[in-house]
Amino acid sequence: MEQPNPNGSAPVTSQPLLEAVELTRHFRLGGMFSKRVLHAVDDFSLTIHEREIVALVGESGSGKSTIARLLARIYAPTRGEISYRDRPLHRMRSRRALFAYRGEVTMVFQDPFSAFNPVFRVSHGVMRNLALHRPELTRQQRRQEAARVFESVGLSPSMLDRFPYEMSGGERQRVGFAQALAVRPKLILADEPVSMLDVSVRAGVLNMMAGLRDQEGVSILYITHDLASARYVADRVIVMYAGHLVEEGPTETILREPRHPYTQLLLSAVADPREKVETVSSDTGEPPRVINPGEGCRFRQRCPLAIEKCSHVTPRPKPIGAAQVACHVATGDTAELSVPTSGALG
Amino acid sequence: MATGVSALGVASADGAGQVDAARGRRFIRAVLGNRKATAGALILLVIVFMAAFPGLVAPDSPQASLYPPNLGASSKHLLGTTQIGQDVFSQLIWSTRLTLLVTVIVSAIATCISMIIGVTAAYIGGVTDRLLTVVTDVFLIIPVLPLLILLAAYLPPGVTSLVIVLTITSWAFQARQLRSQGLSIRNRDFLVAARVRGERAIYIILVEIVPTMTSLLAASFLALAVFEVGFAASLQFLGLGNSSELMWGTMLYNAQQAAALESGNALWVLAPGAAVALMGAGFALVNYAFDEIGNPALRPVRRRRGGRAAA
Amino acid sequence: MVAEPLLEVRDLSVDYLTDAGDVRAVDRVSFAVEPGEFLGIVGESGCGKSTLLFGVAQLLSPPGELAGGTVTFRGRDMVRLGRDELRHVRWRDYSIVMQSAMNALNPMKSIGSQFRDVFHAHDGASDEQIQQRSEEVLRLVGIDAEHLKSYPHQLSGGMRQRAMIAMALLFTPSLVLMDEPTSALDVVAQRSLMIKIRELQRRLGFAVIFVTHDMSVVSLYSDRVMVMYAGQIAEAARTETIFERPLHPYTQGLMNAFPSIRGPRRELLGIPGRPPDLARPPGGCRFRPRCPRAFDACASHPPDLYPVGDTQVRCLLYTELAKEAS
Repeated sequence: MEQPNPNGSAPVTSQPLLEAVELTRHFRLGGMFSKRVLHAVDDFSLTIHEREIVALVGESGSGKSTIARLLARIYAPTRGEISYRDRPLHRMRSRRALFAYRGEVTMVFQDPFSAFNPVFRVSHGVMRNLALHRPELTRQQRRQEAARVFESVGLSPSMLDRFPYEMSGGERQRVGFAQALAVRPKLILADEPVSMLDVSVRAGVLNMMAGLRDQEGVSILYITHDLASARYVADRVIVMYAGHLVEEGPTETILREPRHPYTQLLLSAVADPREKVETVSSDTGEPPRVINPGEGCRFRQRCPLAIEKCSHVTPRPKPIGAAQVACHVATGDTAELSVPTSGALG
Repeated sequence: MATGVSALGVASADGAGQVDAARGRRFIRAVLGNRKATAGALILLVIVFMAAFPGLVAPDSPQASLYPPNLGASSKHLLGTTQIGQDVFSQLIWSTRLTLLVTVIVSAIATCISMIIGVTAAYIGGVTDRLLTVVTDVFLIIPVLPLLILLAAYLPPGVTSLVIVLTITSWAFQARQLRSQGLSIRNRDFLVAARVRGERAIYIILVEIVPTMTSLLAASFLALAVFEVGFAASLQFLGLGNSSELMWGTMLYNAQQAAALESGNALWVLAPGAAVALMGAGFALVNYAFDEIGNPALRPVRRRRGGRAAA
Repeated sequence: MVAEPLLEVRDLSVDYLTDAGDVRAVDRVSFAVEPGEFLGIVGESGCGKSTLLFGVAQLLSPPGELAGGTVTFRGRDMVRLGRDELRHVRWRDYSIVMQSAMNALNPMKSIGSQFRDVFHAHDGASDEQIQQRSEEVLRLVGIDAEHLKSYPHQLSGGMRQRAMIAMALLFTPSLVLMDEPTSALDVVAQRSLMIKIRELQRRLGFAVIFVTHDMSVVSLYSDRVMVMYAGQIAEAARTETIFERPLHPYTQGLMNAFPSIRGPRRELLGIPGRPPDLARPPGGCRFRPRCPRAFDACASHPPDLYPVGDTQVRCLLYTELAKEAS
């Protein structure tokens, strides 16, 4: 496999493949009359270009998996819009349009054990994908295509007839990618594809992902909680916290000059076995409240830089150099408004 | 938690196509390894044999009134004769077929209905789920006996009506359980993957979900069969069957009508009763094997010879 | 004179008795733990590290079974102890923290009442003493004593793990065994918990055996590290030594499998292939099929643990045979 693309390089085309604008998803907790609303994702915007790996980094409860499901159209957004190749998704109502979308945007799952139906061989998913999305192929051709796709993820075609329990976690994740590739997608939504794999196996899968971008021209939204692996494969990094986008930009920029306090906290918490740097933070890693959170920055309780404004004005992403940062202090937006917005005070 | 290959259970052979055979072998091994299941399987085998070849076991005609009435047990009439001179043993054996068929058919249909309704409710969710759950609950609550008496007035007495009535009143039991099982797997990644592929809901339910539930379905079927044997017999005993059909339940009915116990012909009553109990026990015992397959923790513990079992 | 080690494990083996045959999940493992020491046991899935821990704690249940070796804790052979004696030693002298609090905590009972249960199982303290000690241990781990009344689902993941640790410290044992206590947590919570564990250890003086698949987690906190592969110890050394100069090709492979967050970007290699099926372990060295530095003798001579300076390494590269081969 070739070396992954050097980070920070511009994508081949600048035509956005997928664009999400002010994406919001809420879940009502409790019964029909409950007032408790879980804000899984709020006002989240992103752009993915062709031939690009974008890492979506966040911890549990950050909303990153919800984003994947929104983009895969498993959930519908509460607000906001998703456009694929400039066509808004909500216009794609017909079964055919939806189906066509599914042939271009596919998903890979985190858990190599539950991602496969134990009753079927591992070829099942690939063959179904081919049968559904590439109906022009004959049965013979489908079989050949399945073999080709397996090879492109580094698996021998002889494994097509294995059952999931006969394969290791790393092999199964590759099958997951093979399934996604069978439809010849433009974008793969990879939801923590290596988190449940042994460390020694991850490198192979990460290298394979980079190869898919370079050789097959596929874009990947790489969802992870591990900044280090994001650095390794991704061209751009988006950091999420409590349903909000807090920082995004080219990988090296984000990692060398993190502006948002949460990004800085994440970076300091990542341990590198080759380094003996011990940074101490008193942060205990308590997850944020995203039930009826109200206005204001959701990181403020844990933030060493928090000011008065952070409690009642929600920071929006603003550009700093090549990055976008959602932090009043980092962007120098510390002045309070002279006229309070309605409901902000008292 | 990082996962990889478990050192214990993975077949490193290039296993293509071995799994179905392996599953069958595993089942047989589970049945043979478990004494209760073996006993149950034997009982059922005998019953099936008697149902298939009754003539081999009881060459006498079951319904012809050829013999002196109310005879006790003897070498010629192993279980004596009825009030109108029929050979009880013969009747018993020849009734096996219909009894078994009714039990199996009712259990199978009821299990299918409960599976479709339960899984659909679980998978589709929302309003459909609520609707189907209400329907299930209604059928659960229906008081069976009054319903039967009502139906008995309209339906012709006999096996067909019996099957209809039994099916209607039995499917709801397992539907809840199958719905629960469906709920527990509806968010499994492979089902989400099927949705993301663009599969239709019907496909997902029938092809992706149901096959994963085969052992649960088999266990449901067996549990239902235990119940149906007794239930069918009870209904017939209450007069809701056709007394001229050859079933253990109708034998009980006829015996009761003839006041068999009072006239000292206990065998006529005891024999079909015991047969019903035996068939039920057979199904119940085999069900143990399924528990074991499903839950390895129930498997018998192998001890190393001469070694100390772990604390 | 060297003080007697707190825990000494000699040639411990654990088998799983399955229908398909006996599988040796842990093969003649020996190590010792000094009082107050932090030992990290590192390895990937299937290497036997959790099984080893359970074997040491006498917590194996069928189909797992001790197949040989001794576990000497404070001079007493644990394997020979009867059930009652074990119960007396358990939790007072050593305790165990499981991987997932949700698996170990009873969701139907409050934290406080579960602490009480522990007391009743191991001691007959008065209600007042129980209350006092419970509050004390919660404070030790950084949880407000109010949470004695809380139920597990009301606490966050990080707090639940801390509650588990508090429970393990109720009797101030001299040894605490931990089975991947941080793997269910996010990075920041993980870091915070590790710091807390280390702080508690220094304060209270207990020894820790910490089992994990994540080398980076132990790299900053352990005194010594044992790397396990396929049921055996591959390498054991002081932490700094093993990270600065890993000797075993497997350890080297593991170190190279971590993408670096701060250093220069390099290609990640990982380790191709997968661990051996322990039902049929390969002849010779178990790592040979995946080893980039294997030579002929590796297929026929299963290596022992050889001392190289302070390190113990199971690799023929550090024997005479290697010199013959090159």
